[in-house]
Amino acid sequence: MAEYIHVSALNALARRVLENCEPLNNLIVCGEISNFTRHSKSGHLYFTLKDDQASVKAVMFRDKARLLGFAPQNGMLVLVYGRATLYERDGAFQVYAEYMRPFGAGAAQMAFDALRRKLEAEGLFDPARKRPLPPMPRCIGVVTSKTGAALQDVCNIISRRWPLTRLLLAPVNVQGLEAEQSIVSGIHALDADPRPELILVTRGGGSKEDLWVFNSERIARAVSQCRKPVVSAVGHEIDYTILDYVADLRAPTPSAAAELCVPDVRQVRQNLFILGQNIQKNIQSRWQMCYNNLNALASRRVLDAQKTAVENRAQTLQELSDAILSQKQMLFRQKQTALQHAAAVAESLNPYGVLARGYTIVRDRKGQCRTVDQLKAGQEITLQGIHVTADCTVNMVRPLSGEDQDENAQKL
Amino acid sequence: MKTPKNFEEGLARLQQILQQMQDETTTLDKSVKLYAEAAQLIAYCNTTLENAKLQIEEIDAAAAPKETAGE
Repeated sequence: MAEYIHVSALNALARRVLENCEPLNNLIVCGEISNFTRHSKSGHLYFTLKDDQASVKAVMFRDKARLLGFAPQNGMLVLVYGRATLYERDGAFQVYAEYMRPFGAGAAQMAFDALRRKLEAEGLFDPARKRPLPPMPRCIGVVTSKTGAALQDVCNIISRRWPLTRLLLAPVNVQGLEAEQSIVSGIHALDADPRPELILVTRGGGSKEDLWVFNSERIARAVSQCRKPVVSAVGHEIDYTILDYVADLRAPTPSAAAELCVPDVRQVRQNLFILGQNIQKNIQSRWQMCYNNLNALASRRVLDAQKTAVENRAQTLQELSDAILSQKQMLFRQKQTALQHAAAVAESLNPYGVLARGYTIVRDRKGQCRTVDQLKAGQEITLQGIHVTADCTVNMVRPLSGEDQDENAQKL
Repeated sequence: MKTPKNFEEGLARLQQILQQMQDETTTLDKSVKLYAEAAQLIAYCNTTLENAKLQIEEIDAAAAPKETAGE
């Protein structure tokens, strides 16, 4: 009887042989995905890789699949990193994928579109999710390569525009297999650190391949779970990554991102100046208002003074008017007395008064007073006494002798 | 007057001062005090802007809690 071995031994043998073949343990296989299934319970990925002449089975276990930055699909051309060996149970030769990424523009675009649709459906790009940036961040977390041009650009712009801030750098690989994990860790570290107020994830320009890592679903999720606002700036204006969609703000370049993250010191200086001016104006107008009020009060006091002056003058006026009145009355009384005197004198001079003393008034027939010198002989006259009149006829008119004249002169 | 912790605090205080001064119920006496404080704050802010120099620090990302275990 010939020597035989069991199937399991055969497969074990084959596997050992394959595992001893060094190139199979560290492969990068390029192929198109087909028959893709994600095992619903285990989460492992099963698929076939093929090119135009051959195909090979492939598996990616859950813990590796979870780290994939994109959703593999049938028809997608991928680079699979891993090893190839025999699955003993089925005797199946298959590739064990550790990592894979879309290969070529078409596949990359497929993966990109698929992930974008998926995250969009989850609402990760929702504009309502976008948080505003702090206007004057005291500290900015930067996730980028320590040696890259992007960091240099960011430093230059920020020290020119707003040197009051502090950059907290999480140095990461932005290229290669480690890049994704490194960037995710950087984001987590800066989000956990209390100092940064926002996080800038950036790298300079590069090929599509170079920038591919920023289309990672893990990075997108890390950003979406970030408690702090995240600014993305990857490559140039034309380069759009998944990170750009999920970030709170997308900047076209690292320099532009730096400008968006901080205020301009000249503008702030200007604002400070205006603020100072407003405060100055305010205090001045306040002073002015107080002066005006004071002046208003003071002028009221002037009015009071005027009122007093008017009252004083009114009193003087009253006194003067009283004085004038009493003066007038005194004068009136004086004149009245004088008048009474004059009246008495006049009374004493009344020609009728002397009639009582025996004098007589001579009147002619017409009743006119006549002096005795005017009388003519034969003239009819009336003599008027105090009580009676006597009608007489003049007998004779003769001049007075010397003795009579002397007598008259003595009387005068 | 208490020196502000930083430029931002100084600027915020200045804005607050202006608001208080614009409030008509603030007395002249208080306004004068606020004005004096504002003058010092403006000087402080200008000096801070003048002397500012960008500082850069590094953080060790590996020390951060990781989302997933590596290999």
